[in-house]
Amino acid sequence: MPVTFTFGEMLSARSVIGTTLAELGEEHENLWVLTPDIGATLVEFRDKYPDRFLDVGLAEQVCVGIAAGLAYDGNIPVVSGMLPFLSMRALEQVRTDVCYPNLPVKIIGTHGGLVGNGGSTHYAVEDLALMCALTNMTVTSIGDPLMVGEIIRQSMTMPGPIYIRLAVGKKDMVLYEPGEHEVRIGKGIVAREGTDATIFTHGTTVAQALQAADTLAEDGRSVRVVDMFTLKPIDEELIVRSAEETGGRFVVLEDHLAYGGLATRIADVLADRGVHLAAFERLGIPQVYAGFGEDEELRDKYGYGLDATIAATRRVIAAQP
Amino acid sequence: MARQTLRSREDRPSVEELEDLAFELRSKLLHLCGTYEGAVHIGGDLSAADIFTALFQYGLDVDPSDIRNPERDRFVLSKGHAAVCMYIAMAIRGFFSYDGIVETYGQLDSAYGMHPCKVQLPGVEASTGSLGHGLPLAVGMALGARHRGEDHRVVCLLGDGETGEGSVWEAAMAARSNELGNLVAFIDRNRQLMTSFAEERVVFEPYPDKWRAFGWNVIETDGHDMSQLVAAIDALPATDSDRPTVVIAETIKGKGVDFMEHNLAWHAGSLGAADLERAMASLEANRKKETV
Repeated sequence: MPVTFTFGEMLSARSVIGTTLAELGEEHENLWVLTPDIGATLVEFRDKYPDRFLDVGLAEQVCVGIAAGLAYDGNIPVVSGMLPFLSMRALEQVRTDVCYPNLPVKIIGTHGGLVGNGGSTHYAVEDLALMCALTNMTVTSIGDPLMVGEIIRQSMTMPGPIYIRLAVGKKDMVLYEPGEHEVRIGKGIVAREGTDATIFTHGTTVAQALQAADTLAEDGRSVRVVDMFTLKPIDEELIVRSAEETGGRFVVLEDHLAYGGLATRIADVLADRGVHLAAFERLGIPQVYAGFGEDEELRDKYGYGLDATIAATRRVIAAQP
Repeated sequence: MARQTLRSREDRPSVEELEDLAFELRSKLLHLCGTYEGAVHIGGDLSAADIFTALFQYGLDVDPSDIRNPERDRFVLSKGHAAVCMYIAMAIRGFFSYDGIVETYGQLDSAYGMHPCKVQLPGVEASTGSLGHGLPLAVGMALGARHRGEDHRVVCLLGDGETGEGSVWEAAMAARSNELGNLVAFIDRNRQLMTSFAEERVVFEPYPDKWRAFGWNVIETDGHDMSQLVAAIDALPATDSDRPTVVIAETIKGKGVDFMEHNLAWHAGSLGAADLERAMASLEANRKKETV
């Protein structure tokens, strides 16, 4: 039976970004929006506040540098673009110009994971590892398109930088009814309650994890799904609690390198806190430069699609402690 | 807002006084280089010493007693390895105590170290050191000032070597595209990289034409002639003009100390007591030569 969501409708996260920034521009007269030629969804802000909108053209490094310069003088700059380039071409600017002086620059972008069929130049698959390594950086990865607006709103009052990762952002499944969960940076969302195992995930694979949990529910398996949309600071308490409440059986699923992202963050917490699990599986991108294909095809090919998620969850549930 | 500023003061130092202040800056630099056991980027400090003096003692509209005044000129040190030259120039201007710098430089928990950090040392405008980062920051500051209707300048000091970094030229394009006449770049054109003479490795020439081609207003000057530096500062266009200005200041790495000038061995180093004496003697002899 196909899985249905309360709010299965599709929405563009990018349009949510555009609308949210245009709204916030009124409230925050020091809000700037900068982009290296990826401004299509920022038109609403640009038209309302042309003197606080800057498209630098194809120049990610100076885009982030200018944002830092603006932030030094009390502005709140949002840099919007494609994450493979913002997270790598401009990595040193993000680290040295933004994070070192702890400036409130917000980096929002698309193409996190094997999404968009652009090939490996256009997939950000290392970005969360890179961003989590940066002192002062808050790191998020958002699946639910409505949540993007809420995270941007909350970020306005943060004194330091934040990284907000999206998939393609053109057509995203609404996962939560507004108000269904408390959305707070640094707190994971228990998207589905369960007791046999926990699937931790973030971003574009939250929908897939929910689908896997629904399928397993048909076999009488009770699987918790945690949308760990903040990778840094990580919700340690929820990790420890989920170990206790779901038999120490974890699957970590992510559209990112399997080593270096959420699975690594969770493993670090478990090691540091001395938590012993019965079973732990990580599903993510192996050490390959992926080629072309639709998102779901690539997830299947590289072993972290829906079937693989269901199989891995069955394995951790069956594992002898 | 009534504000006692350097620019509005009638008693700005004369060229002769500025030359004395530049000598004081060089003397203090050498003294630090002779007492601190680690390496000091003395070559690029000495090449920039006259520019620093012209800016901090004459050109910049800054007030050491009011370091957060929104209308102050902003100074971004893109060649961050000249930090100690900036600290001492700022100390001479009244921001810091020179004794505090020389007594704690490079030590654990000191705010004074090899590259400047705004968080550790308020008064410094930006945390820099990685080359090619300063001009983009300065562009952001100049944009912000324009937007708020403030008429202060944003001044950025770069080394010519660091203009090999692509981000400098991204910033050069952004500054021109946004008509940032309130932005001024000073280039310490000492023609030396760390391990080679610049032109041996990278063809910078025709250097001023490169900046002209990027749409900048170009002023060429002798970076060790105080009257020329003062004239360049006086010739800066109004802050509401539509072109950024670059002052290309021809300099000599190690300027003022014969055995350091044009000497690749003195990109960075430390002077023992004997060499300090030798360096000071050379500095004083050269000063006498110039005043004659």
